[in-house]
Amino acid sequence: MALTGDLRSFNFVDIFQVIGRDRKSGILFVEWKDLTCAYYVKDGEIIFARPIDKVYRVYADKDFDLLLSKLRMSMESLPKTIERFLISRLDMKEGIFSFTPGFIKYGGEYPVVYPIEELIVLASRNLTPEEVERKISDELLLFERVPGKEEVLQKAKLNQIERHILSLVNGERTVLQIRQMVNQDSLLVDRALYAFLSLELIRRKKKEVKQKQAPITLELLAKIIERIRSL
Amino acid sequence: MRQIKKIKVVIAGPFAAGKTQFINTVSEIKTVKTERKIQHSREKQVKDYTTVAMDFGKIRIDDEHELYIFGTPGQFRFDFMWEVLGEGALGIIILVDSTDPTTFHEARKIINFFQSRFPVPIVVGANKQDLPNAWSPEDVRIALDINEEEGIPVIPVSAIDKESVKNALLTLFEIIRVNLTR
Repeated sequence: MALTGDLRSFNFVDIFQVIGRDRKSGILFVEWKDLTCAYYVKDGEIIFARPIDKVYRVYADKDFDLLLSKLRMSMESLPKTIERFLISRLDMKEGIFSFTPGFIKYGGEYPVVYPIEELIVLASRNLTPEEVERKISDELLLFERVPGKEEVLQKAKLNQIERHILSLVNGERTVLQIRQMVNQDSLLVDRALYAFLSLELIRRKKKEVKQKQAPITLELLAKIIERIRSL
Repeated sequence: MRQIKKIKVVIAGPFAAGKTQFINTVSEIKTVKTERKIQHSREKQVKDYTTVAMDFGKIRIDDEHELYIFGTPGQFRFDFMWEVLGEGALGIIILVDSTDPTTFHEARKIINFFQSRFPVPIVVGANKQDLPNAWSPEDVRIALDINEEEGIPVIPVSAIDKESVKNALLTLFEIIRVNLTR
């Protein structure tokens, strides 16, 4: 099933998160105002990018290795295409994207110089205040670290300030407190938190779900369930 | 006359997520709607009428009990109603239009709203699964940043299909049952 949307409402951090989490393979198309690009995704990593004139023509090249030889692309040159046609465009907010899973046949291994985790962080540095507000919607939000994420952290290549922000997340400090402790533009903090959430380095601190003073007994509950079934 | 006891669940979600339809599909009474003609041009492109206070449907359980299903307005400008409707609810179903990723962030904010105020079970219904361009529930879950520790299942829903709506309600009540037996 194709994933489609508008970059204004679903930014690159979100797109990379969906692609990376499931380790999807396929092709991501982005129709910018000036250019349409195809991004080749293998096991959740973007390995090649190229501008295209018509989307349907991409579907004619189903074998990735054959495509590379047709385009006379060497393995070493693949990361350059990511820099030129993706990383340099992460600040562009107007475009339509669609991701078509499957379809392309990949051969062996391809170099991954820019892991999806790093792309998430790079994209997060371009988020606008309106974009970060979608996830960091309340200064009283509490986040906690997710254990066992050393590999993600390594691939994400955080800068010094981002590492500092991450170190302040402890399940007790609110977003407001973290902003105050960092003592820099709060957008910087919010962007980092947004990226950490997408990378699952942090999560919202879970509140205990209680059925407080439930006006219901197990017997009544069984009746409700039975009644709904019989509708 | 014996007084009927009310059991309440809330159906929330962004604008045009399918909340009114969800209640229509399963309610035994004609859904009580508080709809008004839409004035905003952007919203008008999606539908002509929208809920401004609440929708209300019900299912008779037995001689003493009725299940009340309340639908909240979708727009944030009516969020004062969410608080009113959430009070006393046994659980909350948050519907998301799986074909419209522009609403996913709003859906996450709505989850945050109910999660922080009402410590009751929440189920997310990835609605409109009958449409060809619907995101899968798993992709919706990732887009909404719902991790497993949150204990919020994201299930496929098609609000026009009675079995699908029943399944969503049953999923919610099953979680309530598990919580009660803990």
